[in-house]
Amino acid sequence: MTTADVLMLALGAVAVGAAAAVVTTRQIVRAGLWLVVALGSLAGLYLVLSAELVAWVQVLIYVGAVVVLLLFAVMLTRAPIGVSEDLDRSRWPGLLIGGGAGLGLAALLIDAYQWSTVDLADGAGAEEVGAAIFRSWVLPFEVLSVLLLAALVGAIVISRPDVSARVGR
Amino acid sequence: MNGFTIATPAQVLAIDVRLPDLDYAAMAPMLVLFGAACLGVLVDAFAPRQSRHTIQFALSFIALTVALLAVIREARVGSRELTADVALAIDGPTLFLQGTLAVLGIVALLLVGERALEKGGPFVSQAAIPVGSEADRRQAREEGATEVFPLTLFALSGMMLFVAANDLLTMFVALEVFSLPLYLLCALARRRRLVSQEAALKYFLLGAFASAFFIFGMALLYGFAGTVSFGGIHDAALLATTSPLLLFTGLAMVAVGLLFKIAAVPFHVWTPDVYQGAPTSVTAFMAACTKVAAFGGLLRVLYVAFDRARWDIEPVIGTIAILTMLVGAILAVTQTDIKRLLAYSSIANAGYLLVGALAFSKEGLSSAMFYLAAYGFTVIAAFAVITLVRDDDGEATHLSRWAGLGREAPLVAGVFTFLMLAFAGIPLTSGFTSKFAVFGAALGVGEAWPVALVIVGVVTSMILAFPYLRVVVMMWLSEPAEQSPTVAIPGAFTSAALMVGVLATLLLGVFPSPVLDLADRAAEFIR
Amino acid sequence: MEPGYYVVLAAVLFTIGAVGVLIRRNAIVLFMCIELMLNAGNLALVTFSRINGTLDGQIMAFFVMVVAAAEVVIGLAIIMSIFRTRRSASVDDANLLKY
Repeated sequence: MTTADVLMLALGAVAVGAAAAVVTTRQIVRAGLWLVVALGSLAGLYLVLSAELVAWVQVLIYVGAVVVLLLFAVMLTRAPIGVSEDLDRSRWPGLLIGGGAGLGLAALLIDAYQWSTVDLADGAGAEEVGAAIFRSWVLPFEVLSVLLLAALVGAIVISRPDVSARVGR
Repeated sequence: MNGFTIATPAQVLAIDVRLPDLDYAAMAPMLVLFGAACLGVLVDAFAPRQSRHTIQFALSFIALTVALLAVIREARVGSRELTADVALAIDGPTLFLQGTLAVLGIVALLLVGERALEKGGPFVSQAAIPVGSEADRRQAREEGATEVFPLTLFALSGMMLFVAANDLLTMFVALEVFSLPLYLLCALARRRRLVSQEAALKYFLLGAFASAFFIFGMALLYGFAGTVSFGGIHDAALLATTSPLLLFTGLAMVAVGLLFKIAAVPFHVWTPDVYQGAPTSVTAFMAACTKVAAFGGLLRVLYVAFDRARWDIEPVIGTIAILTMLVGAILAVTQTDIKRLLAYSSIANAGYLLVGALAFSKEGLSSAMFYLAAYGFTVIAAFAVITLVRDDDGEATHLSRWAGLGREAPLVAGVFTFLMLAFAGIPLTSGFTSKFAVFGAALGVGEAWPVALVIVGVVTSMILAFPYLRVVVMMWLSEPAEQSPTVAIPGAFTSAALMVGVLATLLLGVFPSPVLDLADRAAEFIR
Repeated sequence: MEPGYYVVLAAVLFTIGAVGVLIRRNAIVLFMCIELMLNAGNLALVTFSRINGTLDGQIMAFFVMVVAAAEVVIGLAIIMSIFRTRRSASVDDANLLKY
């Protein structure tokens, strides 16, 4: 076992544990904090995979922005901070279907890879990634900007405050 | 290797960044809509409040017309190419479906822009005001949000990109570009806003759930093929150096994402709630255009990337098609709300479309495309009628309220009867010709699965005729209820939309051959 | 490198997220579960990118992150507007943010 494998197993265990905690905890705020742990350990895994740019973008966007937004939403909706019951629907059907399908998926993947090993090429830095984006992925990249604009406009439309009342006064 | 050393200018120059060839003429329809949507955002920021609605409507209308002309021009040129480094495929199905989307988009836009039925239009300007508060009563008299026009254009441009996307990533981005505005549009109903927002939340959560499946499927297919372009996946499936399990699991998960959008069973649970809760004009838009876009994408995935795997996927998708037809038809019988009824009918129609898709032949493809166009016109017209039947609380959608409508408003009831007969597939309507085309294409293959699907299709069509005819009987033969709703006089926009929808339903039923020929000539994907 | 570990980890995370969506009812928690699923997809993409020796997987992971951010914006806007609409509304509050 190499260092990378040990690191991978450790970070993977953290990620799975934290993800399980997100799904099972009865406190919404804690779910958000466990999500930080899960996403952070995934960022660590990207580092182990020597995909550095992805790792740091993961930290910036997910841990830095998405989770913060989620926690804001928790606070703004005044969701109960303490233990809240009644967060679950009956769990056994979902657990059985989802778990069964997931185990099947994992079994398929194990079967597909048979614990083979692969030699890795050198990891690529930000420059190569940037060049590749503008070489072959330029169209979806530009469309992403449209997507962000649409999301921005839409979010403002649906949640804007009572402007006319203030203007009218 | 450290990715974060700051590159000196010389190093930057050393990296070869060449833009791929972009065929702007072929992308013109999408670019026009993207541009007009951005302009619309500016209009909303700077134009005076009174004239916003007019400007926005005119802008959207012109943009869609220009996009339609661009599609027609491109079709005249007869271009068949991959552009933007194989991210886009401009071929017959793309152009046919983009043209369909533009036309249906214009008709749906007429409904979205209608303001004669209700003061300020069917949309609310500030969706987040507490229901029943003072501010809410004040805004009931105010103009509705005009941002719905740019949002509609964003959605339509995403749909046009979706039917042209030739790799999974572009398809995913396009999927989100058309989904996110739709989630929001669902939440903006002026009347019954709580229901509308709940519909939006449900649509959003389930839509995001389905997107997650799409992404994981995309990852698995990338692992299988080393690329996400459909041509690449096709080639990799031929060589099959890696385990085909990845291919099939990946396909299954991508299919979940797409089948969710077309509302196939068992991924249909959102449909009735969202169709009921969303503003009716948005429902019309979704029922017609989302179906065209999502089916266009599904057809491309199945025909371009997975035609080699057709024997393996046929039983799975065939089963889904059978379930979709059965569940849609049987549950439609039990509905008491006209919007929910049409939602289940739309689910059943997704099943009929899958029958055409599963023929895996040129006829199957062309008949499915014809079906999409024909169904789109009929369904928009049907929802247009629903916007007209109103009482003090807005639209009266409960079926019992429609009793005796034939005496109140014979013309509107007559139009609706015609549309219901078209849904039921009576000859001389587009419903008949399109079902005939789809089932004929499936029978033409002459294999076990398509034939079985056609049998189920015919049986469920008969079941489905029952709820349609029940509405018709109710309108003409029942006694009116005590407080029967009034039928509003349609404004110019709704009248135009109704006229186009009804005429198209009639013409495609009586003289279907020009459009059938067009679809037939267009029915060839490039890879 | 043993790619099996990574893809199985991705599958496990995806499953946990999917089960979470199926068993939880709070909209914000559901949302976190969906984020977990998206992240599992990203892990698979990056892993396959390393296995295949192409950069495309990593680039797709960026795209997924940006799209996820846009989705979060829309989702939370809808959740917030529901919350504010209902704050003083005489509707069944017990149903708040459940779907």
